[in-house]
Amino acid sequence: MNILKKSAYAGTLESSDAYIHVSPIQENEIKLILESSVEEIYGEAIEELVVQTLKEMKINNILVKVQDKGALDFVIKARLQAAILRACESNEPVWEELS
Amino acid sequence: MNSSISFSQFDNTSKIRVKKVEAFLNSVELELSPDIEVFVSAKEKSKMIACGGLSGNVLKCIAVSPEKRGEGFVLSVMTELLNAANDRGRKELFIYSTPKNIAFFEECGFQLIEECDSKIILMENSKNLKKYKNNLSRLKKDGNVIGSIVMNANPFTLGHRYLVEEAAKKSDHLHIFVVREDASDFSFKDRINLIQKGLADIENITIHEGSDYIISKATFPTYFIKDKCSINELHAKLDLSIFRNQIAPSLNITHRFVGTEPYCTVTNNYNQNMKKVLGESNPKSNNIEVIEIERKEYKDKAISASSVRALLKDKKYDELSNIVPPTTFDFLVKRI
Repeated sequence: MNILKKSAYAGTLESSDAYIHVSPIQENEIKLILESSVEEIYGEAIEELVVQTLKEMKINNILVKVQDKGALDFVIKARLQAAILRACESNEPVWEELS
Repeated sequence: MNSSISFSQFDNTSKIRVKKVEAFLNSVELELSPDIEVFVSAKEKSKMIACGGLSGNVLKCIAVSPEKRGEGFVLSVMTELLNAANDRGRKELFIYSTPKNIAFFEECGFQLIEECDSKIILMENSKNLKKYKNNLSRLKKDGNVIGSIVMNANPFTLGHRYLVEEAAKKSDHLHIFVVREDASDFSFKDRINLIQKGLADIENITIHEGSDYIISKATFPTYFIKDKCSINELHAKLDLSIFRNQIAPSLNITHRFVGTEPYCTVTNNYNQNMKKVLGESNPKSNNIEVIEIERKEYKDKAISASSVRALLKDKKYDELSNIVPPTTFDFLVKRI
């Protein structure tokens, strides 16, 4: 299991990107706050993507805030991974977890 | 398109750069807020085209030059500002702005808390207000007269005690909110502790910890500027509107009690504004009756926390016991 040591963020608020902020929480759960300009159509898909990515990275206690501006899947995933790696202060990412 | 634009971040010690920000803000008819610690600015060909500021956990003075508007550039400015705040561990943020920008800041993840006089708005990105209101409503008490007092009590005096006694007599239940901001001589922990001890014998009261929504640096920045007589009227109204429309309904508050202000005309104006903002009927929420209670005096002089601080400063400790309750006196003596 990977442990977040601090809060971190990645991304921008610009169109076709997402601003993602992650922070560690006490409870053993995944809390997701999602706001998206395409929430009605892709809200659930983004949620699934976030949960899947967290599973791959073995993260169990985290608050994720996603401010999505219509980013494509791989953009959201990359932003989330970047934010988590920063929060874990991991200099040696486990590349297998970042498929 | 944005390739020639450069962002920079600096703090309020860079006087020359702050002056440039001020000139830029003035050019778009905004004023520089004196409490900003961190600035973000954007330049294109050495000309400033946008700026923003961070004061505590409040974003303010966000501006983009007119020729750069309408192409989403302000999103870059907001990104930089959020980064500046996040880098300092400030996650739960507020924004001060004007009503025409509500929709834009909503796109950046902020929700409106209150709009005041069609001139200023306060927004937050944490959704904490809802949680706070829910927590408050669990402490709701029944009754016809539900009173409220907001106090800083820096520190708790016999004047505060008198105000609470009188208000509690007139109320079925009395909610007391203690300003939480640690911007006073005495820490929040000490202040609330002295209030609890000094009021332990009064039954029909609840003492609440304040919050970001009651006289805080977010709702009422000018309250904490040392010279109280620089209170900004719009800030005062914003704070009072939040109290009326957001906080009071959670507890069914019907009355607010306040001590008369014999010395400072600006604080006195604040009391008058209170009557206006809380007392006048409007469709948004029930009005709250404001009752001014004559300040308790000692030797023909109204008791105030500032006179306690003055006596402490002049080391006139023996005079203190006349204007503070024994609980506060013991605390002050131990502290010397």
